Amino acid sequence: MSEPGPANERAAASKPDPANERAAASKPDPANERGAASEPGPEPAPVPEPAVELSGVSKRFRLELDKPSSLKEAVLRLGRRRVDDFWVLHDVSLSIPRGSFFGLVGQNGSGKSTLLRLMAGIHRPTNGEIATKGRLSALLELGAGFHPDLTGRENVYLNGAMLGLGRRQMAAAMDAIVEFSGVGAHIDAPVKIYSSGMYARLGFAVAVNVDPEVLLVDEVIAVGDEEFQRRCLHHMETLRAAGTTIVLVSHDTALVSRLCDTAGWLHDGRLRAVGPPEEVVGQYLASTAADQGGDPSEA
Amino acid sequence: MTARSKPALPSAARAAAMLIRSFAEREIKSVYKRTLLGWLWSLLKPLTTVAVYSLVFGVIYRAEPPPTGSGRGEVFALYLFSGLVVWNVLTAVVNGSMRWMHELSDLRKKIYFPTETALLGGAVAALMQSALEAIVLTVIMAVLLNVSWTLVFLPVAMVLTAAFGLGVGFAAAILNARYRDIQHLVGIVLSVAFFLVPIVYTPDIVPESAYGLPVRRLIELNPLNSMIAVARDAVYFLEAPELGQLAAAAAWAAASFALGWVYFRNRSMRISEEP
Repeated sequence: MSEPGPANERAAASKPDPANERAAASKPDPANERGAASEPGPEPAPVPEPAVELSGVSKRFRLELDKPSSLKEAVLRLGRRRVDDFWVLHDVSLSIPRGSFFGLVGQNGSGKSTLLRLMAGIHRPTNGEIATKGRLSALLELGAGFHPDLTGRENVYLNGAMLGLGRRQMAAAMDAIVEFSGVGAHIDAPVKIYSSGMYARLGFAVAVNVDPEVLLVDEVIAVGDEEFQRRCLHHMETLRAAGTTIVLVSHDTALVSRLCDTAGWLHDGRLRAVGPPEEVVGQYLASTAADQGGDPSEA
Repeated sequence: MTARSKPALPSAARAAAMLIRSFAEREIKSVYKRTLLGWLWSLLKPLTTVAVYSLVFGVIYRAEPPPTGSGRGEVFALYLFSGLVVWNVLTAVVNGSMRWMHELSDLRKKIYFPTETALLGGAVAALMQSALEAIVLTVIMAVLLNVSWTLVFLPVAMVLTAAFGLGVGFAAAILNARYRDIQHLVGIVLSVAFFLVPIVYTPDIVPESAYGLPVRRLIELNPLNSMIAVARDAVYFLEAPELGQLAAAAAWAAASFALGWVYFRNRSMRISEEP
C-alpha cells in the first residue's frame, strides 16, 4: 500500500492559490475580501469550482480482533493475527461547490462522521482522493481540538496554529471568540473545568471565527441550549453569506431542508442520493420509514 | 495518492513552525504547572544526580578527574556534569516523545495537525530545560576560571543529541501507541546505555577487552559517546572537538533523525485510527 506521509500530501499541494493572497492579508473578518480574492481571473467562473471534492473515496477500518496490546502477545501471536476489515465508506464521489451549504443525512453508522473526518484530514482514505481548497475548520466533536490542561485562551492559540493562523491573528479574533462563547473570565481557566456547554460554545466560537473557507460541522450544535443553537445557526448563515462552504452533518432533517442548498444521503457507506435537500431528505425518510415501518419523523 | 491542498497557509513550513512553538510553550508551561518551585525542579534533579554520582564514584571509588584545559576546576562532579548535560537531553527527548504522542493522540482524533510538530515542539522544550543545566555548568566553570571559546560547541553537542534522540523518539512514539510495553523497554535500554557511555567514568579506565569482548571499542562506538566527547571537549578540556568525533556525532544524529522521521511519516496517519 502506498502511503505518502500526510504532511507530504498537504505540503505538496500548497502551491500558489487565490486563497494564499487572502491569508496574507488575513484579518479576522474576511467577508469583504473573500469575494474579490476567490475569483482568480477577471472573468467570473460560471460553475463555481469545488471547495471539497471526493473521487471514489473508500475507507476501510481494520479492527484487530483480540488485538495484541503488549509486545509479548504480539510475538506470541505472530503470523496468526485475526483482523476484521470493515468498509465504512464505499466509492464515494462528491463535489461540493464553493460557497454552498451541504447537508449530510443518514442513519447512525452510515459513515457520515467518517466522511467528515476524511474531509478534515484526520483520517486518510484507503482508496480514492480528497481535495479541499482553502482554510478548513472542523467542529467534529464536543470541544474539538482542545487540550484539557490548557486554558481556554491557550487552546484558542493552539487551535489557531493548527489552522495556520498566527498569534496576532488569533489575538485579533479573541474578543469575538470570547464574546460568542460566553465563557467570560473563564477563558483563562483550564478547559477541563468547563461545563460541556462552555466547551461546545468555545469550540464553535473558535471554528467559526478563524475565518474558515470550508467549515465542517458534525452535529455539535445539538449539545447547546436553544439560545446557543439559534446563535450557531445564525452565525453559520452569516458565514455562508460571506462565501464560506459549509458541510453539516445532522440528524435534524428539518434543519437540513431549511438551511442547506444541497444534501447528500449516506446509507451503509454509500452515497445514495445527492440533490436538493427536500428531495434527498424525502428519499431518506421514506427509506427509513419503509425499513422500520414506523414514523418517519423519528429518523 | 491524496491531493489535499492547504493553500490558506502562508506556507506549510511557517504553519509548522507556529505549531512547534505552540507545543513547546505548552510543554514548558505544563511540566511545572502547579509546582511551587517551578523551574528550579529542572535544576534540582540533575544537580542531585551529580551529587549522588560524585559521592559514589568520586568520593567512595575515588575516581580521579582528568586534567581540565586550564588546570583549574578539576572536580570529578564537573567532569560528570559535563557528560550528564548531554545525556539528559537524550532521555528527555526519547521519553518525552512517547509521552507527547500519547497526550496528543486524543486531540489528533478530533483535528488534523502534522503530528510530528508535537514531538519537535517537545524537543525544543526539552532543549530549553537542558540549556538551564548547561548554563549552570558554564557558570560554575566560569567561576573556577575554566572557560574558553570552545564553549560554543556545547550547544552543538546538545542539538545533535536532541536530533539523535528525536529519531529514536519518533519510532518509539509510534510503536508505543500500539504496544505500551515500549515505554518500559525504552526505560531499561536507556538505563543500561547510561553506563555504556563514559559519563560516570573516564574512557581510559575501561579495559581494552573483557570476557573476550572489545569493551573499550564498543563504548567508543556508542553513538552518544561522540556527542558527549564533543561536549566534554567544549566545557571541560577546553579543546576544539576532534573532527572525527564531530563528524561521527553529526552522522549519527542525521541518520537517526532521518530514519525515525521517515518511519513516523509513514505511520503517523494511523494514530487517529488507534482505539
